[in-house]
Amino acid sequence: MKRNVALGCVLVLTTAAVAGCGGGESASTSGGKTKIRFASWDVAEDVDRQQAIVDRFNETHEDIEVTLEAYGSDFDTKISAGMGSGDTPDVMYMWNYPSYYGGLEPLDSYIEQEGADYKENFYDTLWNYNAMDGQIYGIPVGFTTHTLFYNKDIFAEAGLEEPTDDWTWEDLKEAAKVISEKTNAKGFAFSMKPDPYDFEMYLWSNGAAYCDGEGNMAGSINSDAAKEVFQMFQDMEKEGCAVATEKSGTDEFRAQTVAMYIYGSWSINSLNEDGLNYGVTKIPSFGGQPSVSILSSSGVAMSKDSKNKEAAWEFIKFWTSEECNKERIGLELPVLNSVVESEGIMDQPEYAPFYEMLEQSDGYTPASFIIENWSEVSEDLSLAFEQAFNPSTLMDVNEVLEGCVQ
Amino acid sequence: MNRKKFFRTATPYFFILPWVIGFLVFTIGPLIFSLIMSFFDWPLTADPKFIGLGNYIEMFTEDDQFRKSLVISLKYAAIFVPLNMIIALFLAMLITQPVRGVKVYRTIFYIPAVISGVAVSIIWGWILNSDYGILNYLLSLLGIEGPRWLVDPAWALMAVILASAFGVGTMMLIFYTDIKNISIDIYEAASLDGASVSKQFFSITLPMITPTILFNLITSIISSFQQVTLVMLLTGGGPLNSTYFYGLYTYNNAFKHHKMGYASANAWVMFIIILLLTALVFRSSSAWVFYETEAKNSGAKKKRKGGKEA
Repeated sequence: MKRNVALGCVLVLTTAAVAGCGGGESASTSGGKTKIRFASWDVAEDVDRQQAIVDRFNETHEDIEVTLEAYGSDFDTKISAGMGSGDTPDVMYMWNYPSYYGGLEPLDSYIEQEGADYKENFYDTLWNYNAMDGQIYGIPVGFTTHTLFYNKDIFAEAGLEEPTDDWTWEDLKEAAKVISEKTNAKGFAFSMKPDPYDFEMYLWSNGAAYCDGEGNMAGSINSDAAKEVFQMFQDMEKEGCAVATEKSGTDEFRAQTVAMYIYGSWSINSLNEDGLNYGVTKIPSFGGQPSVSILSSSGVAMSKDSKNKEAAWEFIKFWTSEECNKERIGLELPVLNSVVESEGIMDQPEYAPFYEMLEQSDGYTPASFIIENWSEVSEDLSLAFEQAFNPSTLMDVNEVLEGCVQ
Repeated sequence: MNRKKFFRTATPYFFILPWVIGFLVFTIGPLIFSLIMSFFDWPLTADPKFIGLGNYIEMFTEDDQFRKSLVISLKYAAIFVPLNMIIALFLAMLITQPVRGVKVYRTIFYIPAVISGVAVSIIWGWILNSDYGILNYLLSLLGIEGPRWLVDPAWALMAVILASAFGVGTMMLIFYTDIKNISIDIYEAASLDGASVSKQFFSITLPMITPTILFNLITSIISSFQQVTLVMLLTGGGPLNSTYFYGLYTYNNAFKHHKMGYASANAWVMFIIILLLTALVFRSSSAWVFYETEAKNSGAKKKRKGGKEA
């Protein structure tokens, strides 16, 4: 008997690792109203704000009822499980199009019906990030580019001029050296395990990329221009003017132990709460061409299995409208030209650089959209980059990058 | 009459019906489903395709990470399981001592086991941080320069083990209740015979709780193989994949790389490994686990036998 109980335990516990499938059909219309399920990845107060906007939609639309499903950090798990079992929400937030576009509805025909002005009001760079193989699968909702954050107090303490938007990496390195010598802080911080998706922007800025248009990495990621980029970061770390951080570097920047780091707009709210005296400017260039930033964009997409596509599109249009863009300011950077203009966002020094980076980053396609099994390739790249930047290894850049193409 | 009979025999089954349904739907169902899917190539967003043993063959012949993750998990289990049991037993012994305020200590030791794994991961992320973490600060007070726990691949596994040992409370409680169950008479008899405290521990306490040790051994072997939360949140499998546990590897295959069929095969291999290990422990148990009831019965038999012969 005891044996059976223990075997039962083994069974039960093991299944926990296996489970995660199932699902079923739920009634999509009831009481004359079309029901739309809308999945969001946000949490806490952000969800409350989203719920308020959803409620307003429901009040003004008699025939449609939208339910907000907040998946939080389980978003990817639930969306993939949903797609696996044919139980995907009708409308969902989306950023990782290469992984999910198979389960999404192409939206080009819907956009066409709205007329040319509709599409043009969005920042053009964004469409590239909401499309796959030339087809649009999502309507942009928010985005962030990356910019250089710097601590004004530390720059003053070191007696240095603050960074400007025409800085090159040489300028940054010089300043970082002075700061590391004259103050208790380090000059610059970057992640020792950068997300390969984000890191490609430095390669673009130096005229390189992870792969060519067909997804071949050989000849691209191990090109001289690419090696130069990695070498520069590694040298800064070796020389002690930069520190490679365990996470993004935000913790160190908030603790004022580093003077500069490059990051998206995600940290602005917490930096403001801290009352930190910081500035934001464009990413330094490598000299030749203007610097390029990666985009982290969010859009809303429609499930291809949705039974009420008309209603779903109606809601998507509402969610991406001027009105909603305005309402989400503080939550997301607005993506419509008209809203950025009417709200005077370009006059706010902590937000303007994100739009300047957006405008000069048009025309680049991340490797994640080109390389087929990106999530696995990304894992290998991530490991390789860490070998170059982890202070306990600091492997030779040449060796690391040649290893990536074997 | 017949109906009455039916109800009489069926009643107990009605009582356990909710559990049976739950077990069938949420345990056996997915279990069988995952076994079937392990023979498919299933990228989630597209339809599954039957590939026979393809997943298993790929795992054993092409996938380096499979072997590496398995070794990491085995290493973790080999260190964590005994360490955890020794700490749990030690704490259990402490809280059975007749000291003032023992309830307070008992609560303190148990609290970490109540905290969610996510919170534990975040707390340990702060404790172990090499720049501002409190652990390295405390070490620096002793004049030791602490290692870069979550950065140095040589130390990261130790860091994870350290953080997991934080949840030792449940096991401690199980030991505690069993130790409390041992009749005080035995200890009194032993001390009258002049047995020292350590002799009492090794000759009375330890043998008496071997069934509990067996239980804890098995459950902790299982849970150590399934450790996911902690590595996912504390190290993300890093640095340099040194804590890329088998559980995390399976999870990533399923939900990051969308290879549901392959991940199912991963899970089944893990299941079989756990099954074999558990069977091994059970086989060995007759040699070292001591059941009081068995001892009494066999003793009684002997006596009767002796009586007949006489």
